[in-house]
Amino acid sequence: MAAILQILILGLALGGVIALMGSGLSLVFGVMRIVNLAHPSLIIAGAYITYWAFKASGVDPILMLPVSAAIMAAIGVLLYRLMFERETNSVKYSEMTVLLTFALAMMVEGVLGGLFTNTQRVTSPDYATEAFFIGDVFIPKGQLYAGLVSLTIITALTLFLKYSRLGYAIRATTQNREAAELLGVNVNFISILAFAIGLGLAGAAGSLVSFVFSFFPAKHWEWVAMLMSVVVLGGMGSILGTVVAALLLSVVAAFVGTWIGATWSTMTFFLALFLILLIRPQGLFGEKPEMA
Amino acid sequence: MSELLQVTNITAGYGDGPAILDGAHLTVEPGKVHCIIGPNGAGKSTLLKSICGMLTIRKGEVVFNGKRLNGMRPDQILREGICFVPQERALFPKMTVRENLRMGGFILDDHKKLERRIDEILERFPILRERAEQHAGTMSGGQQQTLAMARTLIIKPAIVMLDEPSLGLAPKVIQEMFDIMKMMSAEGVTVLLVEQNALMGLKNSDWGVVLDLGRTLFEGPAGDVLADPRIQELYLGGNKAA
Amino acid sequence: MAVSLQQSSASAVIEARRAHNEKLARRADQTRATWFPLTLLAILIALPLLQFTGNYNYLLHLVLFAASYAAMASGWNILGGFAGYISLGHSVFFGIGGYFSGMILARYGVSTIVTAPLAGLVAAVMGYLIGLITLKVRGPSFIISSIALLMISRILFDNWELVGGANGLTLPMNDLPVLWAKVPYYYAMIAIAAFTVWATYRIKHSKFGLGLRAISKDEIKAESAGINTRFYKVMAFALSAFFVGMTGAVWGEYLTYLRPNIFLLILVSANLVLMCILGGKGTIAGPVVGAILIVALNELFVATMGASEINILGTGMVMALGLIFFPLGLIGTLAKTGKLPRVLNWD
Repeated sequence: MAAILQILILGLALGGVIALMGSGLSLVFGVMRIVNLAHPSLIIAGAYITYWAFKASGVDPILMLPVSAAIMAAIGVLLYRLMFERETNSVKYSEMTVLLTFALAMMVEGVLGGLFTNTQRVTSPDYATEAFFIGDVFIPKGQLYAGLVSLTIITALTLFLKYSRLGYAIRATTQNREAAELLGVNVNFISILAFAIGLGLAGAAGSLVSFVFSFFPAKHWEWVAMLMSVVVLGGMGSILGTVVAALLLSVVAAFVGTWIGATWSTMTFFLALFLILLIRPQGLFGEKPEMA
Repeated sequence: MSELLQVTNITAGYGDGPAILDGAHLTVEPGKVHCIIGPNGAGKSTLLKSICGMLTIRKGEVVFNGKRLNGMRPDQILREGICFVPQERALFPKMTVRENLRMGGFILDDHKKLERRIDEILERFPILRERAEQHAGTMSGGQQQTLAMARTLIIKPAIVMLDEPSLGLAPKVIQEMFDIMKMMSAEGVTVLLVEQNALMGLKNSDWGVVLDLGRTLFEGPAGDVLADPRIQELYLGGNKAA
Repeated sequence: MAVSLQQSSASAVIEARRAHNEKLARRADQTRATWFPLTLLAILIALPLLQFTGNYNYLLHLVLFAASYAAMASGWNILGGFAGYISLGHSVFFGIGGYFSGMILARYGVSTIVTAPLAGLVAAVMGYLIGLITLKVRGPSFIISSIALLMISRILFDNWELVGGANGLTLPMNDLPVLWAKVPYYYAMIAIAAFTVWATYRIKHSKFGLGLRAISKDEIKAESAGINTRFYKVMAFALSAFFVGMTGAVWGEYLTYLRPNIFLLILVSANLVLMCILGGKGTIAGPVVGAILIVALNELFVATMGASEINILGTGMVMALGLIFFPLGLIGTLAKTGKLPRVLNWD
């Protein structure tokens, strides 16, 4: 029983981080219909920013989180204006943007590889290796902190979307771009904002990831499929769905990893993706088969 | 000159595509219900989209209350008091009725005033008040169209433009929509609507406009349009049954 | 106000339509310069004769490399270019072909050149089965599913002890002298590439190809026009896997080893997409031109800067710039502006 509880806790803590990794992806798809294949590579960029600050002057990764988020958000504005803004009226918009983000992912990987080499890295603040003990069950501090910070950020994001004026504008643009524009929403500004927030979330996730997982520039290909399965299962564009799917799949993956073997725990995500596509192409929370 | 909105000889189209509107004109007088009719592809929706700033006007002029609207953004035109309800899905389906109304006042800066307006509107449309916390996408077609029209009233507009408000609704419900329009015009809101069901649209309007091939063929009192034998033959023939 | 209906415009419309039709007719009339690809082929067949005058192994390697990519990109084009389903997981079939023929070579000593068609067939059957699942979705979902497919196969091959797991297998080398060691693979690859290009041409101009192009334009309309879209798509997937699998088979023996991180690499898939986009998706010459361009560019990057990071960065940049500025690709853009030289009009 304690063993099961242990696996459950580890799965949930990781799930919290994965939820944050996926939420930016989900937001960007929801507002702009862009499937951002470069999202995981930008998370890794955020992880490198954090790693670098920690190595150079011992800055705590969690303190580095807002900085990393701000840098990535700024990059997001730049990227959106350079690459995606002009595609808004393209006939094959979704296909074009997927390919563009794919190209972007390679560029980010190349730049990171050039700057930081392909060695596996991990940020190692003290809490990354410590744990709390409750009876026989241990909770690694790093994963716990990361999971809690993630869920705090996601809660803040949800409240922002639900109650703020800009949140209204973002949701309205997601649901009906034309109508939002007609009611006075500057939809292009909202797109830039949502893209920047999405990348900011990638930067924030990167800081947490930097001490939870080891990473190297090409790692993002593994994550892209993992995050896509979370986001597709949650219903593209639904943040709540993403969180639920992330927690669910990480717990399943944790059990698979413990009972069957570590290699197969990542497989959980990929197989889940196939199963979802097979059974419910629109995901669990999506109401329309937008992508099918 | 009593016109509120004057559209003179405008040319417009989508992107680099051909001109859909080619020399259309339109006079809108305050307080009346105006109905634009014409066959598919005549440029009816395009005309409304050009007025509200969604399409760039290539030639000609749109003047509202003595002010030139050419080149203004949709939100600027909305602030001038022209509100456009596009065809079919004008709502935010996963927002509640109240949230939809709140979006209707997006350009208002005074939060308290906005909430007061929302309550006033809900007071006037009991059917919406009952469903204030329900997601818009779960309501019937007629209720959704009612919400779309009610939402325009939040900012007390001068002109409300409606693109085929009757689309996909049952005849009885359509009549309810026209009753709401009449109520709006009685309160001084000018209505400009595009109607596929020409006969029904004209019967419920004061002023009729016939558009075809991107040009205005006729403008006049709705009764005159209905009575004109050539228009009856070309544009009203198929709709006699309705 | 008088009601005046414009009847006079009718004759102007008819005139404009006639002019447009004539323009279309002129375009179709352009005779293809079949002599060009045939001459190119003849030159490539004669190329190994250079070995009598010195060591041109590097040149042969480059041509072989370009030919292998031309074959794979042309194969990808059947699904991605004609049917409009972008796959980022086609390296899976490259791997399946390589491993299938490679294992036969390792166990029974039969050259992959002999078993390549069989390897293609195995890849096609796998493609057919996978397509049955993943082709249920389209657009971004399909693209994502193709990446997931690649990730899954990578894990499977990394952990499959029979084929050497992550370390892979070493294949026996042939016993020809150095000067001639590459030549059999050279001819095999040229043959595969030529066959693939010819096959894509035949497919594009068949009823099947027409159906695929209809699917790419509007799948629902294609379906309502009586096209069995599901069968067409799955067949397109299988066919495109066939050519990629065949190439993979010969590539394994040429390389003399099989390893998951060589075959099941997303960069291979990315290159196929890139070549087709750069050359012109859906055209016959496009993938070939794209393959030549990318292989040349690749050599340049590696020769001048040497690092694989630069290679990835360069591939990404070329792809982004191509997408933004020439979404139709070289052949597509030239054809649209009417400037396509006749030697490159293979459609």
